[in-house]
Amino acid sequence: MIAVEQIRKSYHGARGLDGFSLKVAEGELFGLVGPNGAGKTTLIKILSTLLRPDAGKAQIAGWDVTAHPREIKRTVGYMPDQPGLYQDMRVREFLEFFANAFHLPRERRRIAVDLGLERSGLAARGEDFVEELSFGMKQRLFLARTLLHDPKVLLLDEPATGLDPLARIDLRHQLRELNARGITILISSHILADLEDICTRVALIGEGKNAADAEGNNFIDLRKAALPSLIYEVEVLGDTAQAAQRAGEMPGVKVMEQHPTQIVLEIQGEAAQAAQLLKHLVTGGVDVVKFARRIATLEDRYQRAFGGKPR
Amino acid sequence: MNPMIGKELRQRMRERRGWILPSIYLATLGAVIALVYYGMTKQTSQQGWEIGVGLFMTVAYTQLVLLLLMAPIFSAGALTIEKEQRTLAGLLTTLLGPLQIWWGKFAASLLYVLLLLVAGLPVLSAVFAFGGIGPWEVAMATITTVVILATISAISLYWSSVFRRSVHATAVSYVSVIVMTAVTFIIFLLAQEMSGNQSWNQMAAAVKAPLFFNPVFFLTVGFAPAAQLYPEWVQCAAVSLLLAVVSVLLTLRNLRRAGEMV
Repeated sequence: MIAVEQIRKSYHGARGLDGFSLKVAEGELFGLVGPNGAGKTTLIKILSTLLRPDAGKAQIAGWDVTAHPREIKRTVGYMPDQPGLYQDMRVREFLEFFANAFHLPRERRRIAVDLGLERSGLAARGEDFVEELSFGMKQRLFLARTLLHDPKVLLLDEPATGLDPLARIDLRHQLRELNARGITILISSHILADLEDICTRVALIGEGKNAADAEGNNFIDLRKAALPSLIYEVEVLGDTAQAAQRAGEMPGVKVMEQHPTQIVLEIQGEAAQAAQLLKHLVTGGVDVVKFARRIATLEDRYQRAFGGKPR
Repeated sequence: MNPMIGKELRQRMRERRGWILPSIYLATLGAVIALVYYGMTKQTSQQGWEIGVGLFMTVAYTQLVLLLLMAPIFSAGALTIEKEQRTLAGLLTTLLGPLQIWWGKFAASLLYVLLLLVAGLPVLSAVFAFGGIGPWEVAMATITTVVILATISAISLYWSSVFRRSVHATAVSYVSVIVMTAVTFIIFLLAQEMSGNQSWNQMAAAVKAPLFFNPVFFLTVGFAPAAQLYPEWVQCAAVSLLLAVVSVLLTLRNLRRAGEMV
């Protein structure tokens, strides 16, 4: 449904994308993750026809985004990272204006607006001004506006930013529901737990290019059972400093985190290496109460792909 | 109808300035007319038709100056407000093309200024009572003012497409108005001086040229007797049209690239 091939784009004196490629199948709920400035917003802007790529190809539903912008606009619903709303319009007027802007015929327009109000839970607030709505309601209103013309593909740039936990849960429900209705969704977000919860696959992007996790994957398939990681959580009685020191003495063992009662280790090697480490800790006088291999979360894989350094 | 026009007019009329500006406009126009009328009727030698012509000229020029000051307020902020409120991305990803967006913004800005012009028409027509002025003069003054305002609106919209902030676009639009009204007149005076103060009909086209950009001159030649200055009126109209067309083309080009500014 979405095919991006070796796309490049420089603007505002910086390289936004530098040969990024992506394929999203029809009906997928696909995540896009990467540090700030990695090129996520640039990619979504290109796919929504706001920017023209310098090189490479981008297609949605078989339409080239540069050659067929009108078809793309009909196919795509785009929600920017900071959705702008006309604060001085009434909620219903706002939806009616955009239904008009998508050239919906009168009867379909009425149905689309009513449906939008219902979907966003704002049916009772249709005559209120947009500025009177809460942040979460505004986000729901913008999502309803994005869906007015029945797009086959949704492009969402950081839609959960600034939402409170309940609004985030609500957004996840809405996206799952839309995806179940057959809408392909490409979503960029820094909230990895949300992506892990709803996405089928996730692409890693860094410095405008495809990035890879520790296993060398550019795309993480979240439908497959997660692979056991090389990360171990060790809970001890008493001082974790001694445990961290003992663990550090073992070749191929790296202390990643040290907490008051727990250390987190990365062990390069097979299970035998972990068994050796456990023996080394116990014989060294460390009172181990828990020694467990962690299932790799998206966050772990992200940390290992991007070095864990904030940007 | 272009959905942009309805949206723009609705939003404009909801703003406080939607009723404050017409009030200021009509109050200023009324005050100027009252002053001029009082001054003219004090001179007992004035004939009725002379009062009519004097009042008409006063209303026409006052109206032009007030509207030249007000037109940039509406058009210079028309596109920048979309950038400031982050609503431009939403607009550009609808099926509205750059031309429809431009036309919606332009028509709404111009319609609002025309509302002010229409509000002043009864005052302008009241001078019929004194004689000396006919429907032809009123029509020429109105048409000329509309052409000038359309040009200023198109130029201000261009600046609105260039800048991110309304304050910058409005400031540069006012500079454009000043250049067109005052700077062109000063250049003309200097050129006239250098060419030896020849009469209008003997002057070279290059000396007269700056005045064809000048809105006040444009309005003045609209009142002149047909035999003498209508060619100048046509030239002024052509220059205005050219400025407007160039502004529109540049604005459309900027709107096509506006994705980089959102």
